[in-house]
Amino acid sequence: MGQRLYRRLLERRSRRPLVAIDRRRPYGLPRSAHFHSVDLTDPTADGALAEVFEKEGVGAVLHAAFRGEPSAALDYDHELETIGTLHLLNACAAARVRRIVVASTTMVYGPRPDNPNFLTEDHPIRGHADAHNIRNRVEAEGLVADFARRHPDVEVTVLRPCLIMGPTYHDPFVRHFERGTVPIVLGYDPLLQFVHEDDCLHAFEVALLEGRPGVFNLVGRGVVPLTTLLRSAGKRPLPIPAPLLYRLGRVPAEAQTGDPPAAFFDYLRWLFVADGARGWAAFGEPHYTTREAWMSFISSRRMRAYR
Amino acid sequence: MSREESRDDGVLAGALADLLREVRERLDAGGAGIGERFSSEELFELFDRLRRVAGTFGMEERSGEVDEFGLDPIVCDRARPLFEFLARRWWRVAVEGLSEIPREGPVLFVANRSGLLPWDGLMLAHTLEGWHPAGERPRFLVADWLVTLPFAQPALARLGGVRACRENAERLLRSGRSVVAFPEGAKGAAKLFADRYRLQRFGRGGVVRLALECGVPLVPVSVVGAEEAHPVLVKVETLARSLGLPFVPVTPTFPWLGPLGALPLPAKWALRFGAPLELDQFGPEGANDEILISRTTEELRHRIQQMVDTDRRARSGVFS
Repeated sequence: MGQRLYRRLLERRSRRPLVAIDRRRPYGLPRSAHFHSVDLTDPTADGALAEVFEKEGVGAVLHAAFRGEPSAALDYDHELETIGTLHLLNACAAARVRRIVVASTTMVYGPRPDNPNFLTEDHPIRGHADAHNIRNRVEAEGLVADFARRHPDVEVTVLRPCLIMGPTYHDPFVRHFERGTVPIVLGYDPLLQFVHEDDCLHAFEVALLEGRPGVFNLVGRGVVPLTTLLRSAGKRPLPIPAPLLYRLGRVPAEAQTGDPPAAFFDYLRWLFVADGARGWAAFGEPHYTTREAWMSFISSRRMRAYR
Repeated sequence: MSREESRDDGVLAGALADLLREVRERLDAGGAGIGERFSSEELFELFDRLRRVAGTFGMEERSGEVDEFGLDPIVCDRARPLFEFLARRWWRVAVEGLSEIPREGPVLFVANRSGLLPWDGLMLAHTLEGWHPAGERPRFLVADWLVTLPFAQPALARLGGVRACRENAERLLRSGRSVVAFPEGAKGAAKLFADRYRLQRFGRGGVVRLALECGVPLVPVSVVGAEEAHPVLVKVETLARSLGLPFVPVTPTFPWLGPLGALPLPAKWALRFGAPLELDQFGPEGANDEILISRTTEELRHRIQQMVDTDRRARSGVFS
């Protein structure tokens, strides 16, 4: 996603150079990029970042140093995601960066039976007790909100895309839906919403180049029940009773992600649909509806299977 | 694609009937071999039509197009005969006061709650669907714990049930849909048979505040008969806690008859719609007047209680 966003930004012929910061130079990063290696888990990362920001004259920062794939290294993830955000915000304050865009997700609202059908940006973010990456993201958002209050002159944007679908995007949900037979929680059929990766990138681009301070949900129009999605893609739902699923899946899930299966399957059990009105007003009408984003994902996978 | 899927039953049945008639006509027309009766083009056409009919078979069960609250029009259509049966034959629902309901704009209906399962909400939605000029199905609010029950959540959502919370009700009313609310909440559903038809406290006045804010008429509704459909004799609290339910009911049939005990008894039902409460004079500012809200809430409760009492006195017996 970062690479695609980078290329999109290049196409906009922005006069200023683009700076990429990571631990290692990512594979495929265009040569024109100014790359700097900073480890966010380093206790002096804030100083190092501020140095880079000042040297390059950075005006806008996109903070996406969050795990797309949950890892079993809980402590490391906390250092990277929560403390890393703190370092980054400190560096931005020191280097007087004018604009910060933070990548979040609607998963921070948490899947809960007592959620209203549409969560607005003002709804408290309650996360999920078991999902450590989401917990970190909630903490990071708290730090960002705090920073925005203390620095009213800095344009702080928090973008919360819902589950992202598209031909190239990858995350545990995408992998889950790539299967032909998809395990679901027996007796539950939540309404899901997706945003297409292109719509998501567009919003990040606009936020970075033009500035849209505030918190925004990024979602496609419409909601579709989980089983309808699977059916329309010709996949077989495999309903498993919740107690069984949560116990059986425990060992493999914890080995992979460090979280019990509830951290994942609760998102396919309870509602966490977000209200996109504010995001649509700020970034324009998305090109893909929930259903179209899903179809785009499904058709890309079919192409792959027959290649 | 989805629109093609959502083809009506009638279309499928009609297509099959046409096909059969055609085949029969051609067979009747006579001739020796099949090659003489049908030209190859005709055969191909017939095969193609057969394939198309067979290809869409079973695809129309669910429309795949639900509205933003998960209501599935196809599922509603399919369930209608069942509700029609329940309303006409099983409970013989007598409806009164439909003429009192304002004909235009969304309406907030407020009813007394009874029974563990939301039969009252389903029956009200069914009755009002037929009444509304546009055939719009009003949404009924269901308590949190029902939404957490497996199988209940998807089924209720497809039939127009929405989790009872402020945000949902407000969004529905503002988008021009009518809402049926049961402000007694879980307390209403958990009443014992001995306390039947005694209305509980109406939450914290949320319905009145909502009606004031959205500027919609508030129509009181009384439901009589639903209490006897599932008479709760005793509540088992210890078992309830381990199952995550507010209570486990013991009725004359449940749990003795197992799942069969979940079937409602054929009590005689009466639905009565009262005159809408006059709220226009207060305007949206009234939503901040707590005294006004609690007074109106109490008046609303009182009116529904009176309507319930009237209908209870009027009936000759529980099942007749």
